[in-house]
Amino acid sequence: MVQSRPASFLRTSQAVSRFLFPRWTNAILPFVLVVGAVAPLYAVMFVAYGFSPKTLEAGYMPHQPVPYSHATHAGKLGMDCRYCHNSVEQASFAAVPATQTCMNCHTQIHKDSPKLAKVRASYETGMPIEWVKVHKLGDYAYFNHAAHVNRGVGCVECHGRVDQMEEVYRVAPLSMGWCLECHREPVDRLRPVSQVTNLAWDQKKEMTREQREQLQKTFNIHPNENCSTCHR
Amino acid sequence: MPRIFIYVGLIALLCLLIPPAVIARVRATPNPNLPIHIIQDMDFQSKFKTQAVNPLFADRRTIRPPVQNAVARGETYVDGLLYEGVTDGAWTQTLPPQVPLTVATLKRGQERFNIYCSVCHGETGNGDGLVNKRAMELVANTNGPVNGTVWVTAKNLVHDETVTVQPVGQIFSSITHGIRNMAGYGSQIPVEDRWAIAAYVKTLQRSQNARPSDVPAGTTLAEAK
Ligand code: HEC
Ligand code: HEC
Ligand code: HEC
Ligand code: HEC
Ligand code: HEC
Ligand code: HEC
Repeated sequence: MVQSRPASFLRTSQAVSRFLFPRWTNAILPFVLVVGAVAPLYAVMFVAYGFSPKTLEAGYMPHQPVPYSHATHAGKLGMDCRYCHNSVEQASFAAVPATQTCMNCHTQIHKDSPKLAKVRASYETGMPIEWVKVHKLGDYAYFNHAAHVNRGVGCVECHGRVDQMEEVYRVAPLSMGWCLECHREPVDRLRPVSQVTNLAWDQKKEMTREQREQLQKTFNIHPNENCSTCHR
Repeated sequence: MPRIFIYVGLIALLCLLIPPAVIARVRATPNPNLPIHIIQDMDFQSKFKTQAVNPLFADRRTIRPPVQNAVARGETYVDGLLYEGVTDGAWTQTLPPQVPLTVATLKRGQERFNIYCSVCHGETGNGDGLVNKRAMELVANTNGPVNGTVWVTAKNLVHDETVTVQPVGQIFSSITHGIRNMAGYGSQIPVEDRWAIAAYVKTLQRSQNARPSDVPAGTTLAEAK
């Protein structure tokens, strides 16, 4: 039945042919609703996982100027970390060794190796080898190696199994949340100071939780959570 | 429904899987293109941290080597006993007064010996360190020494007569300045630790050549532990 309509309406609807969604679009409607509900979730997950320091920071493995291997030196040859990183117990900084340290051995061992050409050149000219820094905190954050290694936090807690790496890469995200996670609950990550550079040693296997709690009590280990500890 | 919409929809769904796959891959494998700083904060400030590159200097070091002939306070090196192990023109037989002979000193010496010396001389000092073994293999290679390796066996510090007769001052000097084919560790190990190591080497020589008669009469095994 035709209803009477104002004249103006009739005129425009004749000029523009009216668009009607075809009937099959009704079947899509549920999908549209589902997509509408899932899209924000997807976006949140994307940001949470994609922008997390575990994605953007951990796993950084720059190529170094010399193909120096920790797996060979610290792993196979069993060298202690402190032979080369010898400031780690006294200073905030864990010094990367001088060329002289390499030349303790490499004046004789592999002395003509092409892989060591840059080391020899550095030794002769006195120009440093420009190792690429792997672990770097924001410049506004303060970190101290001595405060950790002298209190029984092993290198492996923060750097992973360096003694199995051909090239060093960053295992931990080094984010503030990661620091605080341990500062709030250090018990499981403490070991006797004598085992700090022994990366194969696992305190969770070698010690009971009671022993670790005892360790924390004996040495009165209470990491700080004040902002000024790390932002000074 | 036109087929094309179904295909487009399916492809769009599949495309949604790409970002998680990329993220999972980035998380699982180390790679050189990280870290990505989306928000810079104050991550990079115009200051130079330890061992950073400094383009202002010709050698690009931030840590400046001391000016030639400069002497830092407390580093006059005039104490011949402490820095050279010499007293009255001969190697000292005793430790300098700055390093008392205590169990703590020997324990320190043991720890430092195991860090710096055991790689070549072995933990007991008898020359079976892993670097020494590997170097001997490289020299003994059937196709000639690998990459021109030359190597003199690291001395057996506890059984070699030429070493066991040495006074502690001479051992200290070998550590500090090196000796023949061995590099010096003077710049790598602080002076007190070098003395502790020298004292520990003397201790090792004693313990590795111990005789039953050295054990006080009447001591049982349980007591000795
Ligand atoms: C023979 C000397 C030597 C020994 C022994 C050694 N390192 Fe290193 N280390 C280096 C050099 C050289 C670099 C710089 C090049 C690189 O990053 O690979 C380095 C770099 C590193 C880095 C990365 C530093 C950065 O740029 O952020 C870490 C972490 C590290 N070492 C940990 C260890 C640990 C843990 C041990 C003991 C298991 C150890 N190292 C033993 C020589 C050594
Ligand atoms: C205590 C002795 C010692 C020190 C110190 C040392 N190395 Fe080595 N290095 C060795 C030995 C032994 C080998 C041979 C390992 C093998 O062939 O299995 C080696 C092998 C290498 C190789 C491989 C050479 C080739 O042609 O295969 C490189 C590169 C190297 N070292 C770099 C360095 C650098 C850089 C440093 C200083 C940070 C350093 N080394 C310090 C003992 C040492
Ligand atoms: C509590 C965590 C933690 C422990 C334990 C730790 N490190 Fe580090 N390490 C870091 C952080 C964080 C950095 C980056 C520091 C910066 O950028 O200021 C770093 C940097 C380094 C560097 C590069 C030079 C520097 O200081 O920036 C070396 C080399 C290194 N560590 C070696 C070691 C060795 C060897 C040990 C064990 C004796 C060790 N670290 C123990 C967290 C740790
Ligand atoms: C695996 C555990 C662990 C991690 C990870 C860790 N810390 Fe610590 N931190 C400790 C312990 C244990 C102490 C020693 C507390 C004490 O001496 O009572 C400490 C002490 C410190 C101190 C010295 C506090 C003082 O009183 O002087 C600073 C600074 C510090 N941490 C910074 C950091 C920063 C920055 C990070 C992250 C890059 C970090 N820590 C990650 C365990 C950890
Ligand atoms: C255990 C050490 C530690 C403590 C305590 C700590 N921070 Fe941090 N904070 C860090 C580190 C490390 C970073 C740098 C992370 C990086 O390099 O990406 C950081 C980063 C930050 C940032 C930059 C934000 C970002 O994620 O980029 C802010 C803001 C901050 N901290 C504020 C605080 C405040 C406020 C407190 C006190 C409630 C505090 N921090 C306590 C270690 C700490
Ligand atoms: C890179 C391997 C290496 C390391 C590390 C090393 N040495 Fe040696 N050492 C040697 C070699 C090789 C000789 C034999 C030199 C020769 O006869 O030409 C030697 C010889 C000696 C001698 C005998 C000197 C003499 O008068 O005959 C003493 C003592 C000694 N080392 C002590 C030490 C002490 C202490 C350390 C630790 C600080 C140490 N060495 C670290 C390789 C090493």
